[in-house]
Amino acid sequence: MAVDATQLPHTTATQVEDVGQIPQWQLMVRRFRKSKLSVGGMYVLIVMYTIMLFSDFLAPYDHNRLDSNYAWGPPSQIKIVNGQVSTFALKQTLDQVRLQWLYVVDEGHPLPIHFFVQGYEYRFLGIFPSKLHLFGVEDGFQINLLGADKDGKDVLSRLLKGSQISLTLGFVGVVISVIIGSIVGTASGYFGGAIDNMIQRVIELLRSFPDIPLFLSLAAALPQNAPVEVRFFLITMIIAVIGWTGLAREVRGKVMAYRNADYTAASVAAGGSHWHIITRHLIPNSLSHIIVVGTLAIPAAIGSETALSFLGLGILPPAVSWGVMVRDAQTIEAITTYPWMLLPVLVLIITVLSFYLLGDGIRDAVDPYA
Amino acid sequence: MLNYIARRLINMIVLLVAVSFIGFFIIQLPPGTILDVQLQKLRQMGGDVPRDQIKALELRYGINDPFVVKYWKWVQRSAAGDFGTSYLTDQSVGERIWGRLSVSLGLSLFALIFTWLVSIPIGVYSATHRYTTPDYIVTFIQFIGLAIPGFLLALIILIFATRFFNQQVGGINSSEFMDQPMSLAKFMDMVRHLWIAVLVLAFGATAGLTRVMRANLLDVLNMQYIQTARAKGLDEAVVIWKHAVRNAIHPLVMSLGTLLPALVVGETLVAQVLSLPTIGPMYLDALRAEDMYLAGTILVMLSALLLIGNLLADLLLAWVDPRIRLE
Amino acid sequence: MTSQPTTPPTTTDDVVRVEDLKVSFYTQLGVVRALNGVSFNIPRGKVLGIVGESGCGKSITGMSIMQLVASAGKTEGGKILFREFAGGDAVNVLDYERNSPEMRKIRGNNISMIFQEPMSSLNPCYTISDQIEEAIRLHQTEDKVESRQRAIEVLTKVGMPNPARIADSFPHELSGGMRQRAMIAMALSCTPTLLIADEPTTALDVTTEANILDLMRELQSEIGTSIMFITHNMGVVAQMCDEVAVMYLGRVVERATVDDIFYEPRHPYTIALLQSIPRLGRTKGRLASIEGSVPDPYSRVNGCPFHPRCPVAIKGVCDTILPEETIVDAAKGHTVRCHLYS
Repeated sequence: MAVDATQLPHTTATQVEDVGQIPQWQLMVRRFRKSKLSVGGMYVLIVMYTIMLFSDFLAPYDHNRLDSNYAWGPPSQIKIVNGQVSTFALKQTLDQVRLQWLYVVDEGHPLPIHFFVQGYEYRFLGIFPSKLHLFGVEDGFQINLLGADKDGKDVLSRLLKGSQISLTLGFVGVVISVIIGSIVGTASGYFGGAIDNMIQRVIELLRSFPDIPLFLSLAAALPQNAPVEVRFFLITMIIAVIGWTGLAREVRGKVMAYRNADYTAASVAAGGSHWHIITRHLIPNSLSHIIVVGTLAIPAAIGSETALSFLGLGILPPAVSWGVMVRDAQTIEAITTYPWMLLPVLVLIITVLSFYLLGDGIRDAVDPYA
Repeated sequence: MLNYIARRLINMIVLLVAVSFIGFFIIQLPPGTILDVQLQKLRQMGGDVPRDQIKALELRYGINDPFVVKYWKWVQRSAAGDFGTSYLTDQSVGERIWGRLSVSLGLSLFALIFTWLVSIPIGVYSATHRYTTPDYIVTFIQFIGLAIPGFLLALIILIFATRFFNQQVGGINSSEFMDQPMSLAKFMDMVRHLWIAVLVLAFGATAGLTRVMRANLLDVLNMQYIQTARAKGLDEAVVIWKHAVRNAIHPLVMSLGTLLPALVVGETLVAQVLSLPTIGPMYLDALRAEDMYLAGTILVMLSALLLIGNLLADLLLAWVDPRIRLE
Repeated sequence: MTSQPTTPPTTTDDVVRVEDLKVSFYTQLGVVRALNGVSFNIPRGKVLGIVGESGCGKSITGMSIMQLVASAGKTEGGKILFREFAGGDAVNVLDYERNSPEMRKIRGNNISMIFQEPMSSLNPCYTISDQIEEAIRLHQTEDKVESRQRAIEVLTKVGMPNPARIADSFPHELSGGMRQRAMIAMALSCTPTLLIADEPTTALDVTTEANILDLMRELQSEIGTSIMFITHNMGVVAQMCDEVAVMYLGRVVERATVDDIFYEPRHPYTIALLQSIPRLGRTKGRLASIEGSVPDPYSRVNGCPFHPRCPVAIKGVCDTILPEETIVDAAKGHTVRCHLYS
């Protein structure tokens, strides 16, 4: 009764669905999209970095423009007067008892908001000189959409200018530390032996420093009167120097695991060179992990910059970063009376949160079992 | 095991020597010396300092000694238990550090206990109720906790406490208790002041650990031995708490090594905002004043704390996980 | 081959009777219908082999009896009747909540389970005796001394060389075979009515496998426990089982005594499975394999689920109508789900 299966004609292959045949990265994208919060975080960051690129154009004033007539000035009111979008002039009086500036909106003196006006000069994307700004009001008056600080500096302009440092410093620092960490970690994990041993000693030594005090001491050693670009660069280097060890360890672990994988052994057996094995087998496999660790390190680096600037060891005035602005919001009196001074805190939290959400989403997408 | 501990201890001493050397080097890097800071202070107060007095002070502080000599002097004295006299105040370094370190350690210990007590049960709940509304809420709060740097949180809480509860938050005691001996009233006052600090310190760490706990438990729950435990007829609660949590807790134990020193130094900014008399602000002041002996001593002490913390964590891990004991 | 004479299954004394069991998994990528109406019975005191390729639902069936299917899996119909004593009342296991006291009383006590991976099926944090005693204390005695004694007894029974020392070892200190012995000891510690063995020897080397199988057979005849033996290895089936149920894509396609399965297989799938076993002495030609692969779990196949791979599929019949279970030999309880026999 037995039927011989081998003698029978081939039957058509079953309707195999495409699940097994999608490229790995597409599956990752698919999984990433499932996480709404992470996708949201990604969009928030895209918007923020876009705004950063156009920050000088969007900012109505230079971030250091003082105007004592607007000290602690409140956010401007916007209304439509005579068919024009307008704000109003402010009348400044001094509260003799509490020694505070009081502002009264002068409804009789509307200030129409002009668009695409000429203002202070800047270089768009650091290259093209321009004076064009999105909006502004008549000279002699000021529009402070998000209020002004104790010297009458426009908070919106400062936030926009500050984003240029706050959004890039941590990012660049992490990119550098990722590069160092990947190279060192790969070398350590791949070659093993004496090289590995030496690298591990160095990492161990660096990791025996408590990081925050090390951070503070290094920052304290920075030259005080260096131009902002130099300080920016040096702080970036500090972040990189402190940050690369953790990544190097993780990459080493991954590389060691992949080094012992059968496909690496096969490549070795087939006469693959070190370079070939590292670039073809080890790096591509570790890459997703490196990206995840990097993404999750950025918010911490941003926080570090803020903390340093807050303590007066990071970015120093007259340059501005969000950390510098938070420093101005330090006194309880300032924030309870002038709540708009807390805006940099809010912006910081949103940025950091978005990075965490993005990183978390990428991690889940890359390695659903981690 | 003893062999292992001995090896670790020797390794630790070597590392500490290296840390002290490099640390001391970094700390004396900034241009200017403690003397400049002192002289500036004196001049601000109106006094001018004669040349020969400056010379005498330079000699006394060893300002012009080469780096290695400075370092050697500091090490010699530290080894003798004399951490030197801070330039900044006339108190002995040891005394000042211990006073502050005890406050720091106390705060951190409470924060640590809080972190564990909160993050383990919440992490377990979150993992066992994955993709439910409470899990989403917990996840969301975790992200907030990760995203808000401690000092910003301190700032925010400070505002709310002042504005809505009319509570004095900064410092360790209210002004009326400042100089009084310890009493119940003073203690309660202290608790009122410090709970915010503990909460702020613990919040970020709790958020992180809850997340780690959740992820680990999810991993462990997929393990075969969890099914084995269920197949025995154990109650799900026993399966989770006895069989799963015990295996998921490794990273938490390991984090103990880094968490304690991290909390001790992590409060630098929080303490700055809440004006707490802890080690962090002291270190910062020492750095600013270029008081390198004080700063160096604190750095080495914190580093020792970190290394001891790691060793303790490893020992604890060996106790929790029998597989590690063999190695 | 088993030396015992096979007897036809009696419906009156089945330890477990599974009727039309349906289980589906709801995943992000879609619904996986893991079991599409599985029916079979496990006669008391016998070893029933459940055979099939990976993904056919063998393990899920075992897990369902224990009510241990992951929470994404939903039981959507059917019954699992468990009868603890011969002639006693049968209970439908599915009537109990997963974590209810009634269900927990059955688990480990009346029905116990051994898993495939001995390396990971013991908790690394507790000693062997901790883990065995846990079950004994739960179901048998609360006494610490007595439970310890029983744990050592049962370890001796499974042939542990130095039971007292092994009892205080941690799982990582034992070899795979030793761990599987420990698992068997744990599973048998409360003398269950039914033992579900989910590929217990797949991860072991051949010599250890033979030892473990001998041990299980020995213990089975000694204690009288019924065994549901899940495997994909026909050789193991021949060695262990009295009766066999062949599964394909969440259904039992053939059910017969072990002799009938090997000497008179009916279903084309069973036949193909048997042809893919290498035989001693037959050196000529290639080993037969089954064309194609198991269809994607998210899709549904019309008609007989095996028809896309079936060498004798009848166009217009097999690809449209699902074959019913047909009795081919009532005396021996041989049934098959194939249009060739209906």
